[in-house]
Amino acid sequence: MKKLIYIFILLLSVTLLVGCQEKTDDNNETIIVDNTYRLLMEAEDLSGMTEKTQAIITQAGSLGLPTSYQGVTITYRSRNEEIISNSGVVTLPTTCWIESRDQQGDEVFENLNDNWPVVIDVTLSLNGQTRTAKLLFVVAPAIGFTCNKYLG
Amino acid sequence: MKKIVLGLIMLLTFILLPGFNLQANTHGIVYKDSDYQRLHAVIEHVENVLKYGKAYNTETDLIPDAINTLTGEPAKWTFPNRAEVPYVNMANQQNFLRTLVALSNVTGSDKYKNEAVSILTEFIDNYQNVNGLFHWGGHRAINLDNLEVQSFEGPNGPHELKNMMPYYELMMEVNEEATIRFMKQLWTAHFYWATTDMNRHGSYSTAFDINVFGQEIPNHVIEFDEDGMPIIPADSPGLLPFVNSATDLAYAAFTLSNHTGDPIPSDWANYLMSQYNRASHPVTGMTVYQYKSTAVTRSPLECADPAYTNSGCGDRVARQFRDFGSIARESNVAWKNTQAVYVDNILMLLEAADKYGQSHFTDWARQYLEGYLEYAYIRVDGRNKIIPMFIDGTVTYGYVTPEVGYFGPSNMRLDYVDMPTTYLLPILRTILLTEEDEDKEKLWSYFRDIVYTFGIGDIGSLGGATPNLNIDNAIDDPFALMAMVELYDATKNPQYLEAARTIGNNIVREKFHRGFFVQSEIMLYSRLDMPDTLALLTLDAVIRGIPLSDMPYYLADTGYIHGYLLSDDGVVETRSYTQNMVYTKTIFDWE
Repeated sequence: MKKLIYIFILLLSVTLLVGCQEKTDDNNETIIVDNTYRLLMEAEDLSGMTEKTQAIITQAGSLGLPTSYQGVTITYRSRNEEIISNSGVVTLPTTCWIESRDQQGDEVFENLNDNWPVVIDVTLSLNGQTRTAKLLFVVAPAIGFTCNKYLG
Repeated sequence: MKKIVLGLIMLLTFILLPGFNLQANTHGIVYKDSDYQRLHAVIEHVENVLKYGKAYNTETDLIPDAINTLTGEPAKWTFPNRAEVPYVNMANQQNFLRTLVALSNVTGSDKYKNEAVSILTEFIDNYQNVNGLFHWGGHRAINLDNLEVQSFEGPNGPHELKNMMPYYELMMEVNEEATIRFMKQLWTAHFYWATTDMNRHGSYSTAFDINVFGQEIPNHVIEFDEDGMPIIPADSPGLLPFVNSATDLAYAAFTLSNHTGDPIPSDWANYLMSQYNRASHPVTGMTVYQYKSTAVTRSPLECADPAYTNSGCGDRVARQFRDFGSIARESNVAWKNTQAVYVDNILMLLEAADKYGQSHFTDWARQYLEGYLEYAYIRVDGRNKIIPMFIDGTVTYGYVTPEVGYFGPSNMRLDYVDMPTTYLLPILRTILLTEEDEDKEKLWSYFRDIVYTFGIGDIGSLGGATPNLNIDNAIDDPFALMAMVELYDATKNPQYLEAARTIGNNIVREKFHRGFFVQSEIMLYSRLDMPDTLALLTLDAVIRGIPLSDMPYYLADTGYIHGYLLSDDGVVETRSYTQNMVYTKTIFDWE
């Protein structure tokens, strides 16, 4: 009987302690750490999706955007699909981004605002949790582009 | 033996089972030594501010806006003629007044509140203009040398409040009649009833109007075109209706209605704030800085020079950012004045929603913030940033200005805009005031990312479940502190409280020097409007179980003086702000 009681005490202690082992705060309160969110953040920072946001993109073709990272599923939605598709393929635009002129609308400032900023909305999902992020790429127009679109 | 063993089992079970730890309960929070040390630092700061602030001129209870922490002397404004003027600008001391009352609340001593009452009594009794406006705000203060009114913008500086949101509750206690007179005259001096224009500048010559809110509320300024897009009139005669002035008008009117029971001022405030709401973009939800553009009143010859940025040449964004076409209007810019639009404005809307029954303002706040964050919030290199854009979502990132203009020089490249910690409170308070969980989720998701990116850790899922905060963080920011305190107050999850305690301890360690709270150890001046002491006292309050609703509430800390002064070279006259010219001084600048 004694042995049974000791085993019961041991089992109870182990069971309760395992339930509390992940992390405790200053008050010895159990905190269950869910790593899902950390991974969703990591996926944005470490998956490599931001690599090509640092320089002007001058080549057409795939940006090589990752679609997964340690179990995180990553999808993309472009705000300008004509330049960057939802799958991250770049098509160099045939026109400049903005034609700039002086206040009178006469003098043209050549090549001042040729490169297009394109925002990509990112959705990251894991274990039923989802968060969003954004990427901003700058894309140069194709060789021989035109720039005759003054709006002022 | 069996009884001993069974007793042991029961004891072990009792200790280990979660839910039995009483320290997690709000009312069982242990007041620690570190809690006392933070409170002690606030008390020492307040005592020093009162001691040194009053020592300079013993003829008055008024104290200066900021104190030199090396000498105990007041901060001084150096005019172009080299006259150095110590200044008292009561509009810029609202967080100190709130700190004094908060300190009385947590200590149970009336001493500090009585000091606030004494300061306000002298100010209201002596510095209310005959027309009802107080001598305070952006361009006027009190000269602490001679206790005369001092103008900083020429000899007759106008009245200007921009998101200063005075501590009206206390002002009402001190002098109800004078406070009501001011709140009415604020509208008379700044709002043009016949044309629905609004001017950030109010005249001290405008006569008091006893029937100030007596006119019929007119049709809306903002109407819509056939596509449902708001039409921004370009007919304002140089009176730019900036939202940061409108928030002060609205806040005064809501407070007035709440106090008197007369709904008319509140109706006018609703009308005014509705113009900004109607001018918001119907697709993105982003809102505007102003609901009118200025009419062209200057000659084509004057306006031909892009460096001439007078608003009489018309909309200043339409001039400098004309390449973008019709969206380029001052109202539609979402990369400048964002603190005014998405922080101070939102905090006022939420205050009116929470305390003055304007519950629809919570929906407006959520619309503005959701739109702004959905379209413009981005994390760049692990930092919270804003993509510069117009409110329709047209990105302006990377744009290089071809010519000089009101927004800056030629060849200025638009880059990401920093998102400071001040954004935490409007987002969190919007979530907390929103009723349905499903309506909170979007903002919570952004809030979670923003908090994480500031380095506080994971606040967990909606409602405060399963947070994983960086309890041992190094953050010393009052807005992060207030956010954690308000999160704790709403959820009672002790992790938020522990994070708040850490931040509070960091604030004391990093910012309490030479007996005063300063922006950092090397900064020379202790500025009375700093929110840090008020934030520390809200933490103290929740630890003591004092409801936050009983505490003075943080609304703004944007007080400033703007005017003419001598530049740092000691020769050239310039026009600038206290924040740029005075509060940037370090202890190494002091000889």
